Amino acid sequence: MKKFLNLMATNRSFFLFIFLIAMFLVFSFVIPEFSTIYNILNMTKYGVEIGLLAFAETLIIISGGGGIDLSIGSILSLSAMVIGVLAGRLGMNIVLASILGLIAGGLCGAVNGFFVSFLRMPPLIVTLSTMYVYDSLALLIAVDKWGNPMPVSNFPYGYFFIGQQTYFNIPFQVIAIFIPLALILHFLLSKTTFGRYLFATGNSEVVARFSNVPVKKIKFSVYVIGGFLAGLAALIMTSRIASARPDLGAGLNLQAITIAVLGGTNIMGGEGSILGTLMAIVVITALYNGLQLAGISSIWQVGTLGIILIGSAIANIILSRKYSSVE
Amino acid sequence: MGLKRVIKSRELTVSLVMIGLVIFFSLSSKRFFTANNIRNILLQVSSIGVASIGMTMIIITGGIDVSAGSILGIVAVVLGKAAVGGFPAWLAIILGILVGLALGSVNASFVALLGIPPIIVTLGMMSLLRSLTYTFLGGRWIASLPESIRWMGLGKILNIPIPIWLTIILIAYFSYFMKYKSLGRYVYAVGNNIEATRIAGVNTKRVLFFVYALAGLLYGVAGAIVVGRTGIVQTNTGNNFELQVIAATVLGGTSILGGKGTVFGSLLGSLLIALLSNGLILLNVPALTEGLIIGILILGSVAIDVIKNRGEE
Repeated sequence: MKKFLNLMATNRSFFLFIFLIAMFLVFSFVIPEFSTIYNILNMTKYGVEIGLLAFAETLIIISGGGGIDLSIGSILSLSAMVIGVLAGRLGMNIVLASILGLIAGGLCGAVNGFFVSFLRMPPLIVTLSTMYVYDSLALLIAVDKWGNPMPVSNFPYGYFFIGQQTYFNIPFQVIAIFIPLALILHFLLSKTTFGRYLFATGNSEVVARFSNVPVKKIKFSVYVIGGFLAGLAALIMTSRIASARPDLGAGLNLQAITIAVLGGTNIMGGEGSILGTLMAIVVITALYNGLQLAGISSIWQVGTLGIILIGSAIANIILSRKYSSVE
Repeated sequence: MGLKRVIKSRELTVSLVMIGLVIFFSLSSKRFFTANNIRNILLQVSSIGVASIGMTMIIITGGIDVSAGSILGIVAVVLGKAAVGGFPAWLAIILGILVGLALGSVNASFVALLGIPPIIVTLGMMSLLRSLTYTFLGGRWIASLPESIRWMGLGKILNIPIPIWLTIILIAYFSYFMKYKSLGRYVYAVGNNIEATRIAGVNTKRVLFFVYALAGLLYGVAGAIVVGRTGIVQTNTGNNFELQVIAATVLGGTSILGGKGTVFGSLLGSLLIALLSNGLILLNVPALTEGLIIGILILGSVAIDVIKNRGEE
């Protein structure tokens, strides 16, 4: 028993796994349709977009020095509008428009990265400002010929396979985009020099610099990767809901940060894993789905997220005080 | 040395930018430099200015509070419900402010006593409180507020609106407090080096608790001002308020790394933002570009600051 609690305290992924099983049991008892294969496979698609943003936050928070990206939801909005306006209003080829949307996301990330790493400005300030800027730009390019910011919904039919196609009930975006990306990012963090450098930078920037780690490049690149991931999430989301709106990403920034932190990413940097964040994404997606099936107002999704975030922080402190052998 | 410090101070930079803007807007729009419009700007400043006192102290200790807007939202709901439910106005207002204090104390307990990082605590609180606001209001508005409850927003003493009085008094007192009271000095000490401060015999937990609880109280006051001024309580009352307050505080020179900043600077930051959004509307700049301009302004001013202070670490 002591060993079990010790593992709970020291290994966040294990903690979340136990939590997930408990939640599954409860939901399955209360809601019969929760544990059907169809429901489980179908709910996965709702975790993809917020999951990609949470991965982005994971990398950025690991990079340390107060690393955080408040603009991630706004990048999603802007990328979505870039795709929507280019393809829907200007009639550009949808593949080209999607690529430009991804590039727009990467560029937004690069702007953040530039200020954070090369000008050494605090990430919170940089991304708070760019959040305003990207939101504003998304609204501006959404303006139609009558002068009002409007959603774009006339995408070509072929575009919808990204967010709406399923294979044996498994959504396309889960098997073709999300799972491969999670594997790549996991590999990147745990098996490559880049990953080692990233953790070194997050643990102590000064030490990393003296050890010849290209700290600036590392920090710059996590913001760029974050921007691309947000662009990708925009692509999937606009395809899934068949519409691009300038407020698509509103509120997602804080949810993504919450999920990353819930997954064991240390807000001080230098600590975190893709596996942990992935577990947190699964927990949150299942939770949202369960609450919805139980008929609880969707407003409480975010509220429960808040309770779980604080609750897990407290549980972590209590568990690690009592059982952790690590001093 | 003294002069050099003044030239390098953020207060001066912000003041100069503000004077420039005032001149520019006055030349561009006849409606800008009128008593009526200036009063509007100051009223707009008051809620952000009052809340920024708490935010400034929190950021000086090296923390952050993203739950400010949600606390303000709950305060507005409590105040509105109490007023509609027949409470006398003064009691409703006090009740609202006390709710702010209570919620601030919840943040304070988690941060100071349990040692959970402020961003996590306040993120969690933000989500939770926003859901509570929706639940309490059930998607409806409270618009039929009795006139008496609006005193905090519309009342006047000596022909000067109450919110402006409140802002001036609170800013003046807390400027004094931060400079001359020992608790105020401890706030800076905690931000500069919490471990050294603790070893020096200061009860750092108490300092942190005080700061977050006081901030909650001030959000309560800001909430009463907002309800009084707008006369309406909606589910999105206070949405994004925390970002405006953080922006004002940082624009006013408070270092996000802690240990540095002034309450007065944050007031200037709030003024600058209010001035800008007011002036842009008068110039018929599309409202959509407001975020763009405010964002670039914060980025630019902090970038200049960072470059100017290079090599001082």
